Amino acid sequence: MKFEMITGRTIRQGEFVEHKHSAEYSEETSSCHINPVDMMFLGIMQGDTILLKSVCDEVVMTAFEDSNLKRGSVFVPYGPYCNRIIPNETHGTGMPDFKSSVVAITPTERKVASVYDLFKDIGGREL
Amino acid sequence: MIKKNVICSFCGCLCDDLSITIEDGKITGVDNGCALANAKFLGKERLLKPVIREGDSIKETEYNTAIEKAADILKDAERPLFFGWSGTQGEAQAKGVHLCMLLGGVIDNTSSLCHGPSILAIQEVGHPGCTLGQVKNRADLIIYWGCNPLEGHPRHMSRYTTYADGFFLKNAFRERKLIVVDVRKTMSSDVADEFIQIEPGGDYAVLSALRAIVRGEEKIIPESVSGVSKSQLKRVADMCKEARFGALFFGLGLTMSKNKYKNIRNAVELTDELSRHTKFTISAMRGHWNVYGANEVFTWMTGYPYAIDFARGIPFYNPGETTAAEILYRKECDALMVVSSDPAAHMPKKCVEHMADIPVIQIDPHKNCTSFFTDVQIPVAITGIEASGTAYRMDGVPLRTKKIIDADFLTDTEVISRIYERILEAKADV
Ligand code: SF4
Repeated sequence: MKFEMITGRTIRQGEFVEHKHSAEYSEETSSCHINPVDMMFLGIMQGDTILLKSVCDEVVMTAFEDSNLKRGSVFVPYGPYCNRIIPNETHGTGMPDFKSSVVAITPTERKVASVYDLFKDIGGREL
Repeated sequence: MIKKNVICSFCGCLCDDLSITIEDGKITGVDNGCALANAKFLGKERLLKPVIREGDSIKETEYNTAIEKAADILKDAERPLFFGWSGTQGEAQAKGVHLCMLLGGVIDNTSSLCHGPSILAIQEVGHPGCTLGQVKNRADLIIYWGCNPLEGHPRHMSRYTTYADGFFLKNAFRERKLIVVDVRKTMSSDVADEFIQIEPGGDYAVLSALRAIVRGEEKIIPESVSGVSKSQLKRVADMCKEARFGALFFGLGLTMSKNKYKNIRNAVELTDELSRHTKFTISAMRGHWNVYGANEVFTWMTGYPYAIDFARGIPFYNPGETTAAEILYRKECDALMVVSSDPAAHMPKKCVEHMADIPVIQIDPHKNCTSFFTDVQIPVAITGIEASGTAYRMDGVPLRTKKIIDADFLTDTEVISRIYERILEAKADV
């Protein structure tokens, strides 16, 4: 199923923004909020892992039921997980489409990567 | 000991009424702050010494060695990129511009990833804004468009709008009307008198529809615009026209979504339209505590607020070409200096990849995702806690943050000045 992915700040993301290596930051920024009806169609429950694929890459996140969203949109707290799949195109403005990228979501058995693992395969080294 | 009237250097609200309890030189309590302020003032984790990467290992070192290494990297670079600046003091921002000028590099601040599009719109149509004091004392209608202040700027409502009594509004909560416009329900929309839920990407159309209604052209508006009913749009237009003083605040929901700066342009033009009926203002909800300062300092030094390229020996500004995301994606820079920011976490992966191929210098008290790519990280005193420094509030009011505890760290300004001097010396030796 295809969704429009919106990203944004949350209190918890803000609280841990200066502690990006913490489990709490990873947990918060890898949670994907989905409308409960959409979750039913995807055949997933709260806490299940899901694979989000965009035109440029894919990433595993945890599904989080959220009836505040309209069907067809998902919300992800801003951070390294959503940026894995946001295209770099800025339409000549310098600003990528942080609030309007299309993603395909499927259930998965894969686990959510750690923040470090997200960067390891593009040359990041542990500090 | 309790220090009163301390400024919080976390978000663009720069709340200046915090009381901080200090025991044995350490912060043990925060009063008046929100959850974000508590996390900032009571945060314990930080980098204690400069670090340098050698092969696969990372080694602690002294300031002199780290500064020397940073200067060596920069003096050999042909097109260094200097990025960040929203979480540091104005004095350091000014030094950063001098350093970039000296090396003919590119300097960009985080507004290219937040309110850069707002600036582009303001350059086209101007900014009918005002200070937050005006809003607090006079505004009887508040609109939050594409933002969720209760989470992003938790005290904005209690300090300046909905819950803040003002000189002409003795009982603000009852006398002020609140409209929230967003694509999803949020904590902020829950307390609104009117919540407009727009389909994603529909902001431009809804702003245009409101402009048409305010102009008296409602007959051309269809029954529904981007998921919003015509009757609600008419009701909202009436609320705006009937207000004595309206203040529209907008967030990244407008700048980051489809149409980007054209959304803001349309919002400014709606403000203009409404000002023919009543008093109306518009302001951006600036995120980082001194991102506005970065725009101010860069502008008074170079003429441009962000994305400035000195390769020609004079400042050149072309967002979309000279913005950090593009410079990194095109693999154009051969060194990167990041000051108080985390581009690895906040930029698309395609932009981050290049960081693995070039030397990266980081000036930041905290380890973050950019630290995975860093060759030298220099921890600095935290402005507003361990060092004083100038910051600009989201409405452009400059405030002086205070030093409230002692610490053995250099400030951002001192570190950048020393790198600058070291490069000058090296250039003189050639
Ligand atoms: S609203 Fe912003 S400036 Fe005010 S206390 Fe919270 S984080 Fe600090």
